[in-house]
Amino acid sequence: MNADKILDVKGLACPMPIVKTKKFIDTMESGQVLEIHATDKGAINDLPAWANSTGHELVKMDEEADVLKFWVKKV
Amino acid sequence: MSLNEILANEVANKVINKEPLFILDVRNETDYNDWKVEGETVTSINVPYFDLLDGVDELLPKLPKDQPILVVCAKEGSSKFVAESLVEAGLTNVSYLSGGMKAWSEYLYPTTIYHDENVKVYQFIRVGKGCLSYMIISENEALVIDPSRFLDVYENVANNDGVKISHIVDSHLHADHISGGRDLANRVGAKYYMMKSEGAIYDFHALEEYTHIEFEKVNLEVLAVKTPGHTPGSVSFLVNDKLLFSGDTIFVGGLGRPDLGGKAAEWAGDLYETVFNKVAVIADEVIVLPGHYASLDEMNSEGFVGDILGNIRNRNEMMKTKDKTEFIEKVASNAGSETPPNYEEIVAINRGIIPASDEKKQELEIGPNRCALHHKH
Repeated sequence: MNADKILDVKGLACPMPIVKTKKFIDTMESGQVLEIHATDKGAINDLPAWANSTGHELVKMDEEADVLKFWVKKV
Repeated sequence: MSLNEILANEVANKVINKEPLFILDVRNETDYNDWKVEGETVTSINVPYFDLLDGVDELLPKLPKDQPILVVCAKEGSSKFVAESLVEAGLTNVSYLSGGMKAWSEYLYPTTIYHDENVKVYQFIRVGKGCLSYMIISENEALVIDPSRFLDVYENVANNDGVKISHIVDSHLHADHISGGRDLANRVGAKYYMMKSEGAIYDFHALEEYTHIEFEKVNLEVLAVKTPGHTPGSVSFLVNDKLLFSGDTIFVGGLGRPDLGGKAAEWAGDLYETVFNKVAVIADEVIVLPGHYASLDEMNSEGFVGDILGNIRNRNEMMKTKDKTEFIEKVASNAGSETPPNYEEIVAINRGIIPASDEKKQELEIGPNRCALHHKH
């Protein structure tokens, strides 16, 4: 999956992964994809719920060696 | 001033003492609907923290003006974040739950529930999960039933009473929480008992070999009524013909669920035998002290979860269903599709088949308890 930008929020605890994701995606263009790397397990449920609430599209979710990866397409 | 930290034990006291409590739960909707702080006097609303990143203005009209507000999240971080925003918005009586739902899940509320010339009994209420464990004290010794993994709590109570924990029993192999039985036994040098048929692979005293466990000078008789039904090796303990520690077989508001091993009908048959052959001969006056409760409605006027067997028999429709086929059908249809979170992994840890760090145990136990077949209110 090709991303336009990558955001690293590894090591940050709730609520920071989403706070940072929101701030970052606000600077992007509609239709661009942001790839997010997180380690806080809360993100597994929270990130999709946040995307759903804001209208952004969660394109893909993955876990590699304890790093959670999310691809979000800006609405 | 005005942003306070509230500890899980303070929340538990409010819930149990039925003091009004307004909770703003800022977790995502799924987690909230799955499991939350509940109680007769608890009012809660759910607004996820990620809907409040741009400010709390839209939230303010939903909050009570004249009541303290407790903000709750999974671990604490997000509740603190939202609580700070509320204080900035001018609210003066805002607090957050220290340690979040994780801390809530782990808090044990100890209370003395019974005292006569021979024994004193403590009930430990895990308010956030609905799990119950017990300590029976007689003279200088104590027996613990179904301990959770928070060993210090039991040790502290035993130390305060000046007694030694000499016996520890698990009524069955738990599917909803990690047992502290083996670790507590190792720490205090007590004997640990469980049914061999439950499949644990470490050393313990097999309850199959005991009809009684006796300790101290006082005639404290622990009779293991082997009551299959919840899991094939479920056991109840009848103490001094006065107290029935029923494990996960009989609850104040229902019966245990026999479906967690994938053989619902077979186990429902065992549960029938238990209810109509073994429990049927126990006197109405015996106090039933279960391993779980489904809601704090099951707490009696004396402030603990339990009731006399006669009352439970009268209330419980299942215990009146004498037709075996009908009973099995009802149990199987009530069994439901919702299992305790992570139960297969929890069972494997309790059997000693896979090891787990404290962090892993904490993570696996988070969430509601779904071991009781309770009637929907």
